Formats: sequence, C-alpha cells, structure tokens
Amino acid sequence: MGKIITVHSYKGGTGKTLLSLNLAVTLVKRGKKVCLLDLDFRAPSLSTILKIEKAEGWLNDYLNGTCGIEKVLINLSERFQNKGELFVGLANPATEAIRDISAKDRKWEMRALGRLLTLRNSLLGERGFDYLIFDTSPGLQYSSINAIVGADLVIVATTLDRSDVDGTRRMLNELYDLFEKKTEIVLNKAFLDVSSKSKREEVQAKFQEIYGAPLLGVIPCFCDVLRAEGNIVFVQERPEHPLTKILDEIADKIDNMP
Amino acid sequence: MAKQEVFGKKPLQILEKIRENLERLNEKIEVMIELQKHTKKDVQMLPEAPLDVMTLLSMPDHLRKTAMTVCRLGRATAEEIAQQTHRARAVESAYLNQLVIMGYLKKERKGRKAYFYVDRESQG
Repeated sequence: MGKIITVHSYKGGTGKTLLSLNLAVTLVKRGKKVCLLDLDFRAPSLSTILKIEKAEGWLNDYLNGTCGIEKVLINLSERFQNKGELFVGLANPATEAIRDISAKDRKWEMRALGRLLTLRNSLLGERGFDYLIFDTSPGLQYSSINAIVGADLVIVATTLDRSDVDGTRRMLNELYDLFEKKTEIVLNKAFLDVSSKSKREEVQAKFQEIYGAPLLGVIPCFCDVLRAEGNIVFVQERPEHPLTKILDEIADKIDNMP
Repeated sequence: MAKQEVFGKKPLQILEKIRENLERLNEKIEVMIELQKHTKKDVQMLPEAPLDVMTLLSMPDHLRKTAMTVCRLGRATAEEIAQQTHRARAVESAYLNQLVIMGYLKKERKGRKAYFYVDRESQG
C-alpha cells in the first residue's frame, strides 16, 4: 500500500504549498500515482496556483459528508504529461466556506478525522494511489492535526527564523512525538552554502542536533522562485533549476523509505 | 445415538457458557487492575465525549496509543489492537475498556468476540 505524507509547519509562509505541489509533481515524474489534497481551509491556495476556479466538489464538502471523494478529485495527469498520474482535491476558497469551516465544533472535527482516515482505504487501497499528500494550515489547527494523525510521514517545512525554529522544536516534542509520527524536516529559504556534499553533511548534522529529527532537505532562498509569484510549477517547467534537483533528491529519499 | 447427542450437548453448552462468563469476568478484573494502576485522575467519566485530536493529545500516553490504533483500524478486537501496538492483549483489553468507560469508545459483542470502535455517527 502507498504512503500518506502530511506537509506541515509552525508558521505560515514557510513554503508548504510550494513544497507539496512540487513534491507531488516530482513523484509523478517518477511514474507514481499521486493525489494532492489542500487541507489549508483557512487560506486555500492550491486552486489559485493551479488556476482552477470551479470544482464538482470541494474537500470541505467531502469532510461535511455531503459528497464522496470521487466528486472532489480533479485529474491533472494530461496537464502535467508525465509518466505517472496526478489528481488534486481542493479546499473551497470562498470566504463563506472559510468562515463555515472555522466555526465547526469538536464533534464535526471528530467526524472529519474519520473521513480523512478512510481515505487510506479508498485512495491508497481501492484506487491504487502511491502517495497521498496533505497540504495543511500552519500551527495547531484542527484540520492540520487531523492530517498529522492520518499520516505515515510528516514533513515539517521550516525556515531559519528564530521563532520558527523554536516553534518547530516545540511541535516536534509536543505534537508529532505524542502521535508517534515519523517526522522529517525541510529547511526552506535557507541562506546556507549547501553546494558541496561535505557542506550538506555539515548542515545536516547541525540541524539534526537542533531539532532532534532528520533533515530531509535544504532548499536555499531562490530569488527566481520568489519572482515567479506562484505562477510556475518549477519541477515541471524548469527541469534544470536547482530546486528541481533538490526536490528530486527529496523524492528519492521518500521513495526509498521503508 | 441420538439420545447420547442430546445428553452430550448440554454439558458442552454449559461449559461454553462458563468460559464466556469467565472471559467477561477476566476483562472486568483487568479493567479494575488498570484503574488502580493509573489512579482516578486518568479515568474520568465523560459521557458522549468526542474522540477528536485535541482529546487524543490530552490523553495519557498509554491510552493515546490504544485510541489512535482504534481510530486507524476503525473497528477492532483487543487482539487486533495488541498486534499493532505490540503490547499484551490483556493490557489492550484493559485500556480499551477504560476508553469505553470514559465515553470515547463503544463496545459491541459478536459471539465470543468484543469489538471496539469510535461511534462517530450517533454523537451530536
């Protein structure tokens, strides 16, 4: 059976969506069948990046129990034309939908957890997906913790910002560890020299000590990624870009995890 | 021959019934032992308490592990939970029954097997 990966962070703006989408497309390029689900209900962004305005069903509807997951999934395999297949499920970006999901009570969240957990059987089992990637809201949001509970691997996107480092360390001890989740760190927007293997190993050892969790990858701060303003799926459109190579290394590590 | 079967069945049925009752008694004793071990502060009655992620986070570690396994499996026996958590069946049985007492899980008997599950539909 495939794996569920949850991409999470302590703070906003750490690059979760960029990482989730580019990782999903990288895995598709490697021939995998991938489903990327936007669980950032407070600030949905995948629909904007992918320029999809309408969906037959939103993930909000699926969690509300008003439609099945098949109505939510959009097949983007033709658009990306790779060896594998890519499906996405989107969060409703309408203000009313954001307000509605923010006002849900604990019983609704409990049911939402149940519906999220059933995706393991329905998508990984019956539909044969290799990877399910959950993009989440930052911090201790209900939907994000639900996604963490459902995950086989949690990837934490973090920056070198002090409050982000502290918050990430706290979450490692007080959240992921409590749920006994396999957790790996991706250091994003880093001003670090990782050009050689020895430099990368040095950074790896340093951050392993800081976080007490393995470092899955280091993504330097690329001006052209910022300049693209979320209009480009880098790993698809810029195969020679260093970001594409880093994502490929990350995907390789994930693919070889037991 | 027919007579022997009639007479032979009854003691077997009685023995089966005694075994079922002993198993239930055993489960209850296990719960009592666990309740004493972890003192009352861990086990408070919360009728119809939703087993959401915040509840999972606030649980003592030993119960969280069991509760999360039930969440993942959907519906399971103590034996099935024990296979996942790598703890003894009797220990899991005790924790599962604690979670039932606390209102987080439901228990249903089917023959000699007891199934534990999160009742997501009836709450609220």
